[in-house]
Amino acid sequence: MTFLIVSQIINGVVTGMLYALMGVGLTLILGVLNIPNFAHGVLYAFGAYFMLAVTQLIGGFWLGVLIAPFGVVALGMLIEYFGVRQLYAAHHDYQLLFLFAVALILQEAIILIWGPVGTSILPPEHLAGAVNLGVTIYPKYRLAVMVITAAIVIALWLFLTRTNVGAIVRAGIENRGMVEVLGIDVQKVFLLTFGIGAWLAGIAGSLATPIMGLTPSMGFDILPITFVVVVIAGLGSVVGAILAGILIGLAQSLTTIWFPEAAQVVIYLLMGLTIILRPQGLFGKR
Amino acid sequence: MRRDRYSFLLLAVLAIVAPLVLRPVIAAEILIFAIVAVANNIILGYTGLLSFGQATFFGVGAYISGLMIVHWDAPLWLILPTAVAANVLLAGVIGYLCVQRIGLYFIMLTFAFNQMFYFIAYSWTTLTGGEDGLPGVQRPEWLRDDLAFYTFVAVLALICLALMKRIVDSPWGRLFQAVRDNPDRAAATGHNVRLIKLTSFVVAGAFTGFAGAVYALLYGIVPVDAIYWLRSGDIVFMTLIGGSGNFFGPVIGAVFFIWLSETVSLFWNRWPMILGIVFALVVLFLRGGIVEVLARIAGVMRRRRDAG
Repeated sequence: MTFLIVSQIINGVVTGMLYALMGVGLTLILGVLNIPNFAHGVLYAFGAYFMLAVTQLIGGFWLGVLIAPFGVVALGMLIEYFGVRQLYAAHHDYQLLFLFAVALILQEAIILIWGPVGTSILPPEHLAGAVNLGVTIYPKYRLAVMVITAAIVIALWLFLTRTNVGAIVRAGIENRGMVEVLGIDVQKVFLLTFGIGAWLAGIAGSLATPIMGLTPSMGFDILPITFVVVVIAGLGSVVGAILAGILIGLAQSLTTIWFPEAAQVVIYLLMGLTIILRPQGLFGKR
Repeated sequence: MRRDRYSFLLLAVLAIVAPLVLRPVIAAEILIFAIVAVANNIILGYTGLLSFGQATFFGVGAYISGLMIVHWDAPLWLILPTAVAANVLLAGVIGYLCVQRIGLYFIMLTFAFNQMFYFIAYSWTTLTGGEDGLPGVQRPEWLRDDLAFYTFVAVLALICLALMKRIVDSPWGRLFQAVRDNPDRAAATGHNVRLIKLTSFVVAGAFTGFAGAVYALLYGIVPVDAIYWLRSGDIVFMTLIGGSGNFFGPVIGAVFFIWLSETVSLFWNRWPMILGIVFALVVLFLRGGIVEVLARIAGVMRRRRDAG
């Protein structure tokens, strides 16, 4: 039993870190551009499928992890530049609906390009197999994902807190109007933020391939979970999104031990509980 | 008011003509979604709240109806009120939680709760049939014939639309628009903004659940898609593409949506892509929906007539 619980806790942290990457990206876009990015899930899916394309066409797992997210960045920036940007004057509902439409189009594009049947990518050879942790044996690749995602989160935190551009992004979350008044080209900040969010979704998607596999609906499956992460975290809180992501991952994997059918439902119950007890989210100020 | 009476008359005439040009089941499907889209517009157009979770109520209504028929062979006079009552309760609880937050969070919450109910329906296979759907939902004897069923749906749809029109024109319904236009002022004049939003949400939920209950009878099956969040997106699509600024706009949206899905899906099974493209174009260039196009055409024709 300890064996099972320990490995499920690690599982929870690993998927939780992937949720955290998604949640942070969504939080940044939501905070700066004031839109819940309905295309965030499909960007994640494209991270995975670009990864598949790179490993098939060129080969090399890590090359895929390196390249695929930037493909997603390009996609995200195109969406921002040619779509979302045209709609800033309109009510934000329309930006959201535009992104929903984009999500539909891109999900269908995945099916057209790669077919409706799911597939998977094997972890790189040096990370195949499991390692003995004492209480449990655990797949090496998942441990590596934990380390990589942690490194990404730290790098992002350094970027946001230690660089000028990061400060502008944070300022955009706090008070967008003030950023404009200070003479900063807010359009560029939007584009950049969308790009960063897309990159995070892309890297989450590409790292997830050996763990969760690839299906065309993978983006639509993770999107609501990402929303739950952001609602629990609270508006604009990057740290909150990370912790909420891990919390959700843990809740899911621990429920699987006792009541697997409820594993998907429990996260929404947590969300409902958060709204009742603390409507602004665990780390939200407003 | 007189114009509304004409609109209803026109609608009734169209409802009579519809089965002559369309297959009765398609005409029935259009009217069922007309109820759903108009109900959604009470939240979206009248109250100014975007709900991305209307499929919750549609699906729950459909499952209630399906289960009551499959297991108990219950009569319709029991099923339909039960579906409405259950959805009033459900929309009350979900709505209460969602109106705690405004704007974008409201949208995300309705969406997330939708997904929760989808997963319940999806994983509780012994009850709902899960991914395969709940089959064997037989219509009662007198509705077996498609044309009879269509007539039944048409009468119900017209009654539902009239009721909803009555509600949005009532003093309480006017408050929906007050909340949409200026929530602060509505609050300052002593109105409970959250309560008003909640009632709007509950009214929409009740009618949506009702439509869902009727939908279960249409094809004799409750597919799990009925409660999937993409269905909520479809509902928003119908509402907007018809025109959310007009009470009857979403009816046109429902006609367009079902027509589009029926035609395109015949020759291309990736039709959601077409849907996405149309939706993106509408959002980018035609935010008033089809109603706006009609108004523009009417304007041009009037000007031409005046000039001539």
